Amino acid sequence: MQGIQLQNVTKEYANSQGQKVCALKAVNLSIRPGEFVGIAGKNGSGKTTLARLLNGLLLPSDGRVIVNGMDTRQRRYIKEIRRQVAMVFQNPDNQLVSPVIEEEIAFGPENLDLTEEEIERRVDEVLQIVGLSELRHLSPHMLSGGQKQRVAIAAVLAMRPAYLVLDEPTSMLDQTGRRGILDYLRKLNRRQGITIILISHNMEDLAGADRIILLQEGSIVYDAPPWEAFNRENKIKPPNIVRLAQMLRKSGYLLDEKITTLEQMENSICRLLKSTT
Amino acid sequence: MKMIKRMKLGKYTPGTSIIHQLDPRTKLLGWLAVVTAILISYSWPVLLLNTGLIFMVIYLSKTSLSSILHGIKWLWIIFICSFLAQCIYTQGVPLFSLGPLTVTVEGVFRGLSTFLRLLILFLSSTILTMTTSPMKLAGGLESLFAPLIHLGVPVNQFAMLITISLRFIPTLLEEAETITKAQKSRGAPFTSPKKLVRLKSSLAVLIPLVVSSLQRATDLATAMESRCYTGGPHHSRTRKLRFCRCDLAALLISITVSILPLLCIYGMGLQVQSLQNLR
Repeated sequence: MQGIQLQNVTKEYANSQGQKVCALKAVNLSIRPGEFVGIAGKNGSGKTTLARLLNGLLLPSDGRVIVNGMDTRQRRYIKEIRRQVAMVFQNPDNQLVSPVIEEEIAFGPENLDLTEEEIERRVDEVLQIVGLSELRHLSPHMLSGGQKQRVAIAAVLAMRPAYLVLDEPTSMLDQTGRRGILDYLRKLNRRQGITIILISHNMEDLAGADRIILLQEGSIVYDAPPWEAFNRENKIKPPNIVRLAQMLRKSGYLLDEKITTLEQMENSICRLLKSTT
Repeated sequence: MKMIKRMKLGKYTPGTSIIHQLDPRTKLLGWLAVVTAILISYSWPVLLLNTGLIFMVIYLSKTSLSSILHGIKWLWIIFICSFLAQCIYTQGVPLFSLGPLTVTVEGVFRGLSTFLRLLILFLSSTILTMTTSPMKLAGGLESLFAPLIHLGVPVNQFAMLITISLRFIPTLLEEAETITKAQKSRGAPFTSPKKLVRLKSSLAVLIPLVVSSLQRATDLATAMESRCYTGGPHHSRTRKLRFCRCDLAALLISITVSILPLLCIYGMGLQVQSLQNLR
């Protein structure tokens, strides 16, 4: 069975006072191959726990997580699950292992015991995809935050994953770096068919997703396309572009309700202008 | 970035010379040969031959002698102190007296040889790290120590350890500087004339640095685990090493120059001893 399924997943852990805390409560979720899923929620709502359950970094206290038919609790699958479900973390500095970029990218494939030629081919290919070929001999600490995060993404792409889970990858980047990463993720999703699971508390990051899942105190409270989530759910603060569309609609302009990105806004306004002239 | 500039000693300087191109294992073994020779033997032929060898290597590596000697800086004090101590404390034929201190001929020779040994030790290590990139050095060490894996020594993990430290040195230096600035802006007395006060305020940098390093270590471990790392070998580095004819020649030369005289001297010493025993 393709995709990732969470069946009745509960995750408990002990906090520093030794009390049991429930990070996720009986969550049911299904992610289909090729989707772009956004996961939103406040600090402590269980977003990171959910992400780490997806590739077996954490195991559910109760329920099952199934990746392409493999249960994460079974140890013999764990390497294959981690190859298929790649993970990128918040701080680019804390996830790069090697002092040289090309060796950083070779790190994952090496752990998969690939041949030398195959590793080299993948390093070349991935560097081309992320556009860092010229920097391959440099050390990551010489790069900007956005470039470092791109190296981190490149490094997991070299393992040819089917799913890419990103845990707040843009929160430590500046505006340009953020845009770059988001555009890049959309491209990966469309052209390479990689399933993207993007965790962020910034709604503008998630505006381009196929669906948004809102977590609150360990439960899914909302699971809908972005336009629906932004317009109908008062727990989510919509991005500026959506608020603008709402205001325009209130003033009597017949704009499409599904607007969540600048691109869609542009198209919608053009259509409106054409119909009035 | 100021702090990084300060780390001059033996910093890798990229180049294309024959010494740069040698296999890191050759350089490591050559270095080992020289160091063993001078640590075992005091004799002049050995010391002079090794000094000659080192200067030849420096010449071939096309690094400027001044930049190497620049790194010595404070080490001169140790060199001179040890020389003086040897001069004074060695028993033998007196050369001249200065108050209660007597300098002996043997002392001067001893001092000179100690000085030369220290100099060789310093120069050989500096030239090794100046002409070999840290990654190549780590790869060379991993490959040289590979046989120890059979004895249960976690060679691969140690190599990974070296790699990660190399990766994080600049990051931690940057962080140390950020913390220093933050503490300074809150009035930490880093420039106080009192040494104890300065020492205490540097503690205020060290503790946050250690705490954040632990956090980094946890994050990195998670990231490595999710990239299928299980502590196995790190092949791409060791496989890239090529031992060519140049390396063989270089290795033969350095062993001939540093180890062979040693063997000769010890061989002769044994012969003399056995002759004496016969008598």
